[in-house]
Amino acid sequence: MALSASTEPLVNQFAGFGGLTFAQRRKMFLIAMALPALVYVLGFGVYPLLKGIWYSLYDYNLLKPARTEFIGFGNYVELMFDSDMQRSLINTIVFTASAVFFELVLGFAIALALWRDDRFNRICLTLILIPVTITPLVVGLIFKGLLLADYGLIGYYLAQWGLSDPRGLFASQNTALATLVFIDIWEWTPLVALILLAGLKALPTDILEAAAVDGAKPLRIFRKITLPLMLPSVLLALTIRTIDAFRVFDSVFVTTGGGPGNATNTLMVYAVKEGLSFFNIGKASAIANVSLLCTAIIAAALIFLIRHYDKKASTQ
Amino acid sequence: MSRQIALDAARRGFLFFMLAFFLLPFIWLATTAYKPSIDIFSIPPRFGFTPTLDQFRKALSVFDVPSLVRSSIFIAGGSMVLSLLLGVPAGYALARSSHRLAMALAYFFMSIRMVPAVAALIPFYLMMRDIGLVGHWFSVVLINCVLNTAFVTYMMYSYFRALPKELEEAALTDGCHQFSAFWRVSLPAVRSGIVASALFCVLFSWNDFLFAMFLTQLDSKPISVALLSAYGTKDITWGTLGALAHFSTIPIVLIVLFLNRYFVQGLTKGVH
Amino acid sequence: MARIKGNIKILSTVCLMAVASAGVGHAQDKPFEGVTLNLASMNDQFSTVLVEMAPEFKEATGAEVKVDILDYGSLLTKTTADFVGNTGGYDLITMDIVWAGQYAQNDFTVDLKDLIERDKAELGTDDIYPKLMDALGNYEGKQVAYPFAGYANVLAYRKDLFEAAGLDVPKTMEELVDAAYKLTDPSKNQYGFVANGQKGPAVAQDWMQYNAEMGGSILDEDGKPALNSEANVKSLEVYRDLFKKAAPPGAADYDWGGREESFRQGIAATMQTWSVGAPGYFNPEISKVVDTVGLALAPRGEGLPELYGIGGWGLAINADINDKQKEAAWAFIKWITSPDVHKAFNMKGAGSYIRKSVVADPELNAKYPFLPLLDTAFEKGDGDYRPRIPEYPEIQDILGTAVNSVLVGDEEPKAALDKAQDAAVKVF
Repeated sequence: MALSASTEPLVNQFAGFGGLTFAQRRKMFLIAMALPALVYVLGFGVYPLLKGIWYSLYDYNLLKPARTEFIGFGNYVELMFDSDMQRSLINTIVFTASAVFFELVLGFAIALALWRDDRFNRICLTLILIPVTITPLVVGLIFKGLLLADYGLIGYYLAQWGLSDPRGLFASQNTALATLVFIDIWEWTPLVALILLAGLKALPTDILEAAAVDGAKPLRIFRKITLPLMLPSVLLALTIRTIDAFRVFDSVFVTTGGGPGNATNTLMVYAVKEGLSFFNIGKASAIANVSLLCTAIIAAALIFLIRHYDKKASTQ
Repeated sequence: MSRQIALDAARRGFLFFMLAFFLLPFIWLATTAYKPSIDIFSIPPRFGFTPTLDQFRKALSVFDVPSLVRSSIFIAGGSMVLSLLLGVPAGYALARSSHRLAMALAYFFMSIRMVPAVAALIPFYLMMRDIGLVGHWFSVVLINCVLNTAFVTYMMYSYFRALPKELEEAALTDGCHQFSAFWRVSLPAVRSGIVASALFCVLFSWNDFLFAMFLTQLDSKPISVALLSAYGTKDITWGTLGALAHFSTIPIVLIVLFLNRYFVQGLTKGVH
Repeated sequence: MARIKGNIKILSTVCLMAVASAGVGHAQDKPFEGVTLNLASMNDQFSTVLVEMAPEFKEATGAEVKVDILDYGSLLTKTTADFVGNTGGYDLITMDIVWAGQYAQNDFTVDLKDLIERDKAELGTDDIYPKLMDALGNYEGKQVAYPFAGYANVLAYRKDLFEAAGLDVPKTMEELVDAAYKLTDPSKNQYGFVANGQKGPAVAQDWMQYNAEMGGSILDEDGKPALNSEANVKSLEVYRDLFKKAAPPGAADYDWGGREESFRQGIAATMQTWSVGAPGYFNPEISKVVDTVGLALAPRGEGLPELYGIGGWGLAINADINDKQKEAAWAFIKWITSPDVHKAFNMKGAGSYIRKSVVADPELNAKYPFLPLLDTAFEKGDGDYRPRIPEYPEIQDILGTAVNSVLVGDEEPKAALDKAQDAAVKVF
């Protein structure tokens, strides 16, 4: 505060044109910097999205245009009592929570291991990122091929040695969802590691070095200095992964189709089926909006966390 | 000292294990491209096979691979450039503004990133139809960019906020123009964030299946969409899938390698 | 006068040649020079053959055909978006027979009736199996697609195993079920039966076939859903028991790819399947049962009328394209289904039959000795065991969940089908 109070009169002397103060020019400059992105996102993102919300208030099927009718919250009411929807919601939450947890733990470990900048680590990082570069649908296919109980490279032995249900990991109620979590971990942990590594590399090394020179134990440095400083990155990774895991679709679609029964049905599988197979736009939009609402709640919780730590950090 | 060596060995061991974990499933798919179809599965499963390039021949005769890769590069590159152009300044502005609305806007951008695609896909399709872009790769760039811009804005917002304001204020008091303070002082300091954002954009757009499947046509189809057409209802041609996966993975690994260099460079030259 | 006319002709030819950028000439014999047709093709066996033969069509007519090979989901989604958005992105579309109801209801594609009438002489429709003409594109009087790739349900079985057990090739469902149990020996990794179990279209379609063969039916006589009829519940019980006791354990999560592979790997003694995959079992490049596989007509429940499940693909013309494109697209349909071209198409392994003369062709029979089966199946075909109604996708989805739940032991057949029936009634 003291700084800006003392600098402002100073910069005001440089106020060049139109008699605008520096603060005003600064404001205009910042608005000009933010505006293009905002306009873009509003135009190409929010506008179609609002249309989607509008559709969710209709009984609207592209293949049955004659039936279109405004039904208010009818789609939502129907979903509330829909057992498929309830199961999908629960599955999605369980899937997201477990996948994100393991991805963060493993991703942090990898980021720490890759922290030091040497040739081996650089090559390692590139290679480890390969799973992220594969189209998620194909990732699903890889594991489908590997885990087939009757002749898949891994699935065969798992079944033979009694490590999985004889019908295979995907066909058992108990393991299907866990297997999909595993696939998600395989695919997205590298990305988490990348985000956390970016955070680690941005850490003020002098503080860490000073602590090391002072003779602090590595574990203590990690707990007392590295981890708190890494919180923004961790929260970023957590947010991104939570959001994306919540939308899981591709790997489920090719491996189990949501089965066995409804054991792996997720919100997006449900929404995509309604939207892109039945073209039931009204219902699909409603499911998508419920999912949006859930992510918004999760995000609000995360934002609360972020702000909480921000305050803590600024008071320290 | 020996403790240090042991720790280093453990670190490398862990990384080797992780490499195996992340690469072996992919390698399995990649090797199907060199196997005669009959050797891809057997009971009990075995690893041996007589190498052949038939799968590549088949894949190349059916798919116009250069065109597929070109479209992928246009889509990924285009949306990366556009998202950075839009998102980095916006993230900066939001981080530097003290207005209450700024933080709300940052979270607004983040929430855009969460939108389930299905909700907006059909309206977006009709929008693209009205401006005559359906079937053009640029329409995929446009929609990818909504999510990517939102992400870049939020990510850069947190990077810029972590940057001490004093650096810039010093430059500004020296009479430096606002834009050049941003360009010369703040931007280089968040290089690692920019490269990470760029990587993220590229990865996201390269992998995108749903938007590209929906919006492109044969000429503008990226390889992510072509990959799936090897997954038939009557059968799965694993060999073709494996062969195509090469063309989908090699370019992106090269791009990642390239960006990686800057990633590391930017970090070591950081301000801290 | 004649000279002037001739001169004009020459002049116009020169002009046309100049206009045609490639300048290949023969403008008159190539009425569609410069036209490009986008064909959305399912990635069945015929798709690569279409790519291979497209240049021949260009040679003959000047029109370039670009074949976009898509998986089932993408094909359905993209073409529907194209129809609904009136974007005219695809000129020609391969249509799964079960989409016919939706196409007809929404007039997505050109009703080909008038064109067929106009070009009757050229088409030789007498040579096309009437059942296929109907099933692969006719819906309540509208010809929304032209028959292009007819498939039949056939029974693939292992000759060696049947011989060793002293069993005859099953002609009825009862015999098939009986044989399936007798030929199962898990200790030798040998199973009597295999079918799709994966939730969704995979399990729904396979069960609908078995259900029809056991005398069940999805709709009642009035065309209303009757999913929980007594016959359906009974057939589902049989189906579940087969999965439990006679199918490879992994079958509960098989889709088509998994099922076909397991048969080619030799762990299943019988499999009902589409005829289009049959050449694959005899192909040593992908099959391990080349010398021991046999094919037979799909079995039928004892005392039921002799009918065989048929399916496949029609070729449809997008209603949103201009007349010139439509003419060119129609020319392509006529060309690819003409006897000589269709024979060549199948000689290259398309596995797509519609013509009696092609099915009877000696050269093709020498290559694919199972063709007489197709003749019988097409003559007595049933294209409606999967109801080709606009509500089909929803019905299939409801069944896909219900049957899968039964197979994995979540639910009893009766309860599952009751629930499915409730859901299905809501769709109508």
